[in-house]
Amino acid sequence: MSSPGVVNLDLSAPPIVRLMERRSLIIGVIFAVIAIVGAFLRTDEFFHAYLLGFMLWLGVALGSMAILMIRHLTGGGWGVVIRRLQGAAMRTLPLLALLFVPIPFGRRFLYIWARPLDSIPDAHLRQHLAEITRSYLSVQGFIIRAVIYFAIWIGLSFFLSKWSAQHDQPPMRDTSARAKALSGPGLVLYAFTISFAAIDWVMSIDPSWISTIYGLIILIGEVLSAMCFAVVIERILVDYKPMSELLKPDFVHDHGKWMLTFLMLWAYFSFSQWLIIWAGNLPEEITWYIRRLYGGWGSIGLMLVVFHFVVPFVLLLSRPFKRNIRKLVWLATGLMIMRFVDLFWIIEPNFSPTIRVTWLDIVVPVAMGGLWLAYFFHNLASMPLLPAFDPYVREVWEPTHSEAGA
Amino acid sequence: MALRPDEQIEVVETKAPRAPVIEPGHTFATVTDKISSIVLTRPTSNGWLVGFGFSFLLTMVLLYAISYLFIRGVGIWGVNIPVGWGFAIVNFVWWIGIGHAGTLISAILLLLRQSWRNSINRFAEAMTLFAVACAGMFPVLHLGRPWLAYWLFPYPNTMNYWPQFRSPLVWDVFAVSTYATTSLLFWFVGLIPDLATLRDRSHNRALQMIYGILAMGWRGSARHWSRYETAYLLLAGLATPLVLSVHTVVSFDFAIGIVPGWHTTIFPPYFVAGAIYSGFAMVLMLAIPIRKFYGLEDFITERHLQNSAKVMLATGLIVAYGYGIEAFMGWYGGNRSDAFLLWNRLHGPYRAVYFSLLACNIFIPQVLWIRKLRSNPAWLFVISGVILVGMWLERFVIVVVSLQRDFLNSSWGMYYPTRWDWMTYIGTIGFFLACMFLFVRILPMISIFEMRQLLPQAEVKPE
Repeated sequence: MSSPGVVNLDLSAPPIVRLMERRSLIIGVIFAVIAIVGAFLRTDEFFHAYLLGFMLWLGVALGSMAILMIRHLTGGGWGVVIRRLQGAAMRTLPLLALLFVPIPFGRRFLYIWARPLDSIPDAHLRQHLAEITRSYLSVQGFIIRAVIYFAIWIGLSFFLSKWSAQHDQPPMRDTSARAKALSGPGLVLYAFTISFAAIDWVMSIDPSWISTIYGLIILIGEVLSAMCFAVVIERILVDYKPMSELLKPDFVHDHGKWMLTFLMLWAYFSFSQWLIIWAGNLPEEITWYIRRLYGGWGSIGLMLVVFHFVVPFVLLLSRPFKRNIRKLVWLATGLMIMRFVDLFWIIEPNFSPTIRVTWLDIVVPVAMGGLWLAYFFHNLASMPLLPAFDPYVREVWEPTHSEAGA
Repeated sequence: MALRPDEQIEVVETKAPRAPVIEPGHTFATVTDKISSIVLTRPTSNGWLVGFGFSFLLTMVLLYAISYLFIRGVGIWGVNIPVGWGFAIVNFVWWIGIGHAGTLISAILLLLRQSWRNSINRFAEAMTLFAVACAGMFPVLHLGRPWLAYWLFPYPNTMNYWPQFRSPLVWDVFAVSTYATTSLLFWFVGLIPDLATLRDRSHNRALQMIYGILAMGWRGSARHWSRYETAYLLLAGLATPLVLSVHTVVSFDFAIGIVPGWHTTIFPPYFVAGAIYSGFAMVLMLAIPIRKFYGLEDFITERHLQNSAKVMLATGLIVAYGYGIEAFMGWYGGNRSDAFLLWNRLHGPYRAVYFSLLACNIFIPQVLWIRKLRSNPAWLFVISGVILVGMWLERFVIVVVSLQRDFLNSSWGMYYPTRWDWMTYIGTIGFFLACMFLFVRILPMISIFEMRQLLPQAEVKPE
């Protein structure tokens, strides 16, 4: 049985994408102007919020790339139907590289190790920093490593996009072997680079604290936010052709299952870190949690437990809920907000012992998001929503048989 | 740009067809014949007798070692202060890790609709059971007074005694016993339709009785099948979290403490990945000879070897990530004990063990990137062996090297396993193999009915 309805379907992005691009750009520019004013008024708060916004949107881009590579390895219609959305998110990496540039300039507002050592009162910390800033946490090393991370990410994204674009033109070619050959090592590279990037950019704010699972917590958060982002975008597109013809409840169901998987992994990693550090109760480790549980920050931690795990977990157990894009999108939006809250809880308590939310914590991530989304929608509009000449596109419009014998 | 009917599109490049999960030419009857004949009609081969005899001999070595242990106590082992956890815990973690592949294959791959699992799930589950049995022995033997093992369970008693629920060792009791129970149930439920097949096909009255009792009155009615499928899926759902939770709790045995080398947050996922890594290595070490000796290449195909090799490659890389991050943090964190631990691993008295483990677990398995090697049974067999050794060495490094030199120089010491340690360890390998030999002889080692589902004839035609 083939569904003749989708034959001769126009695959280009609907006009709504261009409209969203304009709207995002307007929001981005307005908030960016306010943010720049804020940068002069409250420079330290600006940079704290800047790092938060940067990590949030970087996560969506890198997570999208990771899911794209997972699909190349595993196959499945769920991934084909969103691969161009994720490709568009992934191709924002050059913008994110550009957005990274202010961070080394604002390093003194973010990283204690970048300040003159004499200004640090704690002798023990000073001694540790004296060693580690020579070997690893030097400004030069920080910048060189960032260049390497972005080079790897943009390189991966470049080849994945280029090969995907070849499927927009005849003849139909099966290039899955090549994509697989890149995606396997690509995922390994992603895991290592994002872990070290997370250490460099976030964990090193508190250079005397370590946790070996930290990179994985950041990684899984990125992948989760990317899957939620894809659900939000597919919801916007599903009212228009071609997505209205392509997005089946089975695919939405799979997206919901992925959200549940990533959510559970996030909870598993976060809980493991918490339990091990709590039980060890060592002064150099537990301080990280004490900072995040006292002084009002604990309420945000509790919020994470309830809204970043318990509520979404219960909702995602329901099969009808996962299959309904109009319901799932609300959870996906909520989880994107919780990703912001989680990063806020990870980053901001470093700078204030008592809870503090500044207007810049909202304005800067929104400004960055507006610009990022404008670029994303621009990318999305520039390519058809499905690579028509990839043999795997069949997975999207053919009915899902029981794959006996496959 | 438009999507056009595919007949108008010229396909210029198609990839090489994937190896099938079941070779062509089979029918429902040939599948049933082939698998059930191994149990029912095929005579007991000399090879089986020799293999079983040898494994049985090793089991007797185990019995001997345990008997002597009961007489003399754990003093006959090499454990002492500072290394109070020696071979017993190394072997416990190793065995329980091996079991994980069986649960992953039977439960998670079932839920993920990976039908290739159908040919290997039965014996992988059997492997899980026997591995858990081997694992379970060690902590009990290590108790010193194993006859009081039931004190680990919270039960009302007159001694005013209650387990310490804050201790992960108590969590382990629950994790492992739940795991053993669920695995046994899952395996047995999966066997029921096949036991009925054996009952119906055997010509020997006694066998008919035995298989008949075990088949629990299975008649294969539509209602039976419908309930069976529900029960099987529910059990799979119950078993899935266990793949993560059991080895996570095992990792807590270490990570909850503050010993450098134990107290690290990456341990839970890293232990789980290591468990699946070694488990798939054991699956391959069993599957490769079994398919050869019983001529089952039609059912356990190149595809199964390829897929298992890919799982090993992926989990091996997660393990490598764990090593990498642990070593980096030891250096970066500036904690002197952590830094010393890293130094001690690289330069201390057990450095050869550490380097061997890096070679076995990280460097050598990278050859699995090569497709040709992934489909070569002989190579896979060797690499799987290397991985199993490597994963054992990893647990040795975690248990022994962390304990032997902790915070105080005055309390440093060495650990030397005694012959009783070795005899117990090798004895459990013998016990494990003896169980596997018995299993392949008296039960269908491949699920007959699930293999029949893989045939094209079983496909339900859309209306």
